[in-house]
Amino acid sequence: MQGCRAVAIDKVIEVPYALEIPVGPQHPALHEPLLLKAYADGEEVIKVEVHTGYNHRGIEKLAEKNSFYRDIFIVSRVCGICNGVHANCYVRAVEQILGIEPSPRAKYLRVLAMELERIHSHMLINAVMAEIIGFDSLFMNIMRDREYIMKSKEIVTGNRVSADYMIFGGVRRDLNSEKVDKLKKLLDRVIPRIKYYKKLFMEDETILKRLVDVGVVKPSEATLYGLLGPAARASGIKIDVRASDKYDAYGEIPFNVIVRNECDAWARMMVRWDEALESAEMVKYILDHLPQDEKAVPDERRLPRRFPPGEAYARVEAPRGELIYYVMSDGKPMPYRVKIRTPSVHNILNTAKFYIGYSIADLPVILTSWDPCISCMERLTIIDLKTGERRKVPMKELAGGGKKWVNPRYSL
Amino acid sequence: MIEKIDELVNEGLLKEAGIIKPNRKLYEFNHERIREIFKQLLERLGEKGFYLATIVGTDMLKDKKIRLDYYVVVLPEEITIVLRTYVDRDNPEINSILDLIPAALAPECEIYDLLGVVFKGNPALRRPFFVPEELVEKGIYPLRKDARV
Repeated sequence: MQGCRAVAIDKVIEVPYALEIPVGPQHPALHEPLLLKAYADGEEVIKVEVHTGYNHRGIEKLAEKNSFYRDIFIVSRVCGICNGVHANCYVRAVEQILGIEPSPRAKYLRVLAMELERIHSHMLINAVMAEIIGFDSLFMNIMRDREYIMKSKEIVTGNRVSADYMIFGGVRRDLNSEKVDKLKKLLDRVIPRIKYYKKLFMEDETILKRLVDVGVVKPSEATLYGLLGPAARASGIKIDVRASDKYDAYGEIPFNVIVRNECDAWARMMVRWDEALESAEMVKYILDHLPQDEKAVPDERRLPRRFPPGEAYARVEAPRGELIYYVMSDGKPMPYRVKIRTPSVHNILNTAKFYIGYSIADLPVILTSWDPCISCMERLTIIDLKTGERRKVPMKELAGGGKKWVNPRYSL
Repeated sequence: MIEKIDELVNEGLLKEAGIIKPNRKLYEFNHERIREIFKQLLERLGEKGFYLATIVGTDMLKDKKIRLDYYVVVLPEEITIVLRTYVDRDNPEINSILDLIPAALAPECEIYDLLGVVFKGNPALRRPFFVPEELVEKGIYPLRKDARV
């Protein structure tokens, strides 16, 4: 052809691409800041590595260096979302060592605070899942309705997020009848919304296409890999510390343990919706049956100052699964050992295997379905191994297959 | 399923040693028999019969030992039992159970990093896992009682 030069092609160079997906390195609500490095062959994930150690705060050592009382406030800073269950678990472990027990009214109030926490935690992760699959209007709607629960938590504990509600022998604030009425009104507004979102997750085509049959965990794998909470219950493993340990007032409040057998990411999200509804019913029951005569708030000046030697191992059902505190006292004012095992340690560190074989777009879906904290994974770096060139792509773009779209039909 | 644990006690693999509050039965065992015990648990309880909740490592400075507590939750009753063993503080080594029970990954890596117990046969052990790099360079295991952090 005139004006063009013909070039003979004698070789083709294939450029290997390594996709490195950093999750992390840290976020206030993620107890163990980590990096999830995924390697992909084309679209298929072939290997996932979990890297940790970006911001180990050394809370266990810090707890050994502070008094039993200060530790209540230290451990509730382990996690922002579920600070109530952390404090509750630690407080109950120390109560076991001390041999004291809170009044029934205090036990009911503790459960009330923890169940409100469960509802807003489950709503949050479902909202994040909606955002990850490109359904931003749903994300915003769920987050708006979650505010009713945050308001309820503020009425009960005095603060939206970090509550510092638990103390040895009881709670630090009581409820009056005016507050109970306010709480009931707020609940009546939020329950129909949760039911609506649950229906949406069951019927919406986009959600079903993205979640069903993704990240399948067989029941035997769930126990072998030590999965906890909704991740295990969605694989048909009926574990729930509230039902087995019956701590605080859980022995007296009726509730069902939600179990599903689909084993996929969709089942894990549905378990969370059902549990949120179950928790809302529990909150209603507590407000109707709150024991009236006892004192819930102990006199902090009269609390014991000496801690006998001993050890206790408390478990609590946090929104993400079984949370463990092991406290050992050697008779000094400071604990000898405090061991914290959060459910995310198992649900994130042990699950690298379950990404393999799915496409890159499924990776954020599977990760979100374990309920980690997601706001720190908004980055993806693509490295061209040949030239060393790096280019950043937001995780959301990756999840939406390169383009963000929301069908107007799904806007609420 | 919990009665299967009593069988292991009768066979001499485990030794009853009281309780940890509230009501967690405590059993002691020789650290050299760790793999045997977990193989027996897998055989008798089945893969769906229990899960490893966590391993708690504690530095017992006075006794010159490191104490390892394996917390096992027996299903479907969901009863927590504690399997306790001690390793030498100066040469802390124990066999890994990672290949038998994948759930041991997180606790084994954590204890190696924070207390320096070597789990023989665990390929995933590495430092730094949790602790900052400058501590690794100095060879400090932060959860040991004599570590100044």
